[in-house]
Amino acid sequence: MVHMTQREALEWIANLFEVSPQELTPDTLRGDISAWDSLGVLTLLAGLDSDFGIVLSDDDVASIKGVDDVLGIMRRNGKLS
Amino acid sequence: MRFILVDKIYELEPGKRIKASKALPADEELFRDHFPGFPVVPGVLLTEMMAQAAGRCLDAEGTHPGRAMLGKINSASFREWVRPEEEVIIHAQIAQNRPTYATADCFAEVGGKKVCSAELFFVFAPHELFER
Repeated sequence: MVHMTQREALEWIANLFEVSPQELTPDTLRGDISAWDSLGVLTLLAGLDSDFGIVLSDDDVASIKGVDDVLGIMRRNGKLS
Repeated sequence: MRFILVDKIYELEPGKRIKASKALPADEELFRDHFPGFPVVPGVLLTEMMAQAAGRCLDAEGTHPGRAMLGKINSASFREWVRPEEEVIIHAQIAQNRPTYATADCFAEVGGKKVCSAELFFVFAPHELFER
């Protein structure tokens, strides 16, 4: 089972959206990342599913406004320390 | 040329896997340019063959809210030249199959030798878009 530190999680998100990890903090919003468009949302869903076994509900998806929300989802699913 | 890059379907498990094939005739105009004196099938067309085969596999299931469309090439590699007239055998295994997206692990071979592989990401375009 994959278990990450916050730093590793930020690197994972950065890799997903093809940006430098230095560009991301928990405060980074979806609108700050150009690749986090509608396709990016699906890419995020697929990544959470394949890498962590996390399958999100529509409500979960709608609630994601930025990096901190993704970290929260990972934390709630026991994937982030 | 028509943009139908699957000629035959040999095996199909809807939503799971497909084995299909395509051969491009030597008189296709593109071979005059790719490349002069050394015609080979472009990698983009090999990728499209794999995408169309995987898309057929997903669409055959009939459970998604639209038609499977290639959204992203997660990875692709090309190992061998593919010449005109050679039958390319395409294999696609659906790795993730969700209502709003899917991924497929694909490869193609010629004469039993792997020529390319790709991990492809699909989204689903609403059926209404295709109504005439």
